[in-house]
Amino acid sequence: MARRGVVVITGRLDAAQCPAAQAFLDKVDGTVTLDCSGLEYISSAGLGVLLKTQKRLLAASGKLRLAGVNRHLQDIFQYSGFDQIFEIEPAP
Amino acid sequence: MNATQAFARGFESIARIFEFTSEFFARAGVDPRLLPTVDLVVEELFTNMVKYGAAADPGTEVRIDMASVEGGVEVCLTDFGVEPFDVTQVPDADTNLPIEQRRPGGLGLHLIRRLVDSWGYEHSRERRENRITFRKTLAGQPVPENKPTQGEA
Repeated sequence: MARRGVVVITGRLDAAQCPAAQAFLDKVDGTVTLDCSGLEYISSAGLGVLLKTQKRLLAASGKLRLAGVNRHLQDIFQYSGFDQIFEIEPAP
Repeated sequence: MNATQAFARGFESIARIFEFTSEFFARAGVDPRLLPTVDLVVEELFTNMVKYGAAADPGTEVRIDMASVEGGVEVCLTDFGVEPFDVTQVPDADTNLPIEQRRPGGLGLHLIRRLVDSWGYEHSRERRENRITFRKTLAGQPVPENKPTQGEA
C-alpha cells in the first residue's frame, strides 16, 4: 500500500517474500518513508532488499527512511549496521 | 518435547517451516517472545543450505529437529548429501562500511552470532551430513519485545 512518499509494509519479509517486495520498491523514487509499523519480521534477505533500494535512491539524490520500527527490528538494524545508513524512526 | 520434520530444499519451504516452528512453540509452551529470533536463525541457516547446497545429492531434504529446553529451545538443522561447510567459522560482515561499499548479502550468519545463546557445527563424513545446532533461551541474548504473530507465514 502506498500514499505519496510513504510505502506501508506489513507482515513478514522473509526470503520467499523478497522478490515481490523488491519488485515494488524498484518502482519508487525520490525520498520515501517505509512505514514499518506493521512489519513483524525481517531476515537478511529482507535487509538486502532495503539496502539495494537505499543505494539506488541515494544515487538519484533520494533516500529511504524507515519509520515505525519496533524494538526487535531496531536490534536487527543495529546489528546489521543499518542504523548508520538509514534514518530510522522508532515506533512510539 | 521434541518434533522433527523434513523440508524440500527450496525457498518455497519457508512458509511451512514457520508453521512448524510456531506449532512447536504452541504445543511445547515455549515463550512466544523467542519465536521471531528462532524463525530468523532457522531461515538464515535453511536458506544458506539452499543457496550453497546446489551440489547436494538430488532429492535430499533438510531436516529440522526442535526440542524444548529450560527457558527456550534447541534446534538442529541437518543437511544431507553435502560436503563439509562450517558456517560457524565464516567471518562477520563488516557493518561499518559506508553504503557505497555495502553489498546485499552476508548478514545472515553475522546476525545469528548475535542472536543465539550458542551454536555448533558437526560433519559426518560417512553419512555426508552437516548438522548445525543452536540454542535460544530467555536467559541468553536479549529477546525482542514485540509480540510475534503465531502461525503466519
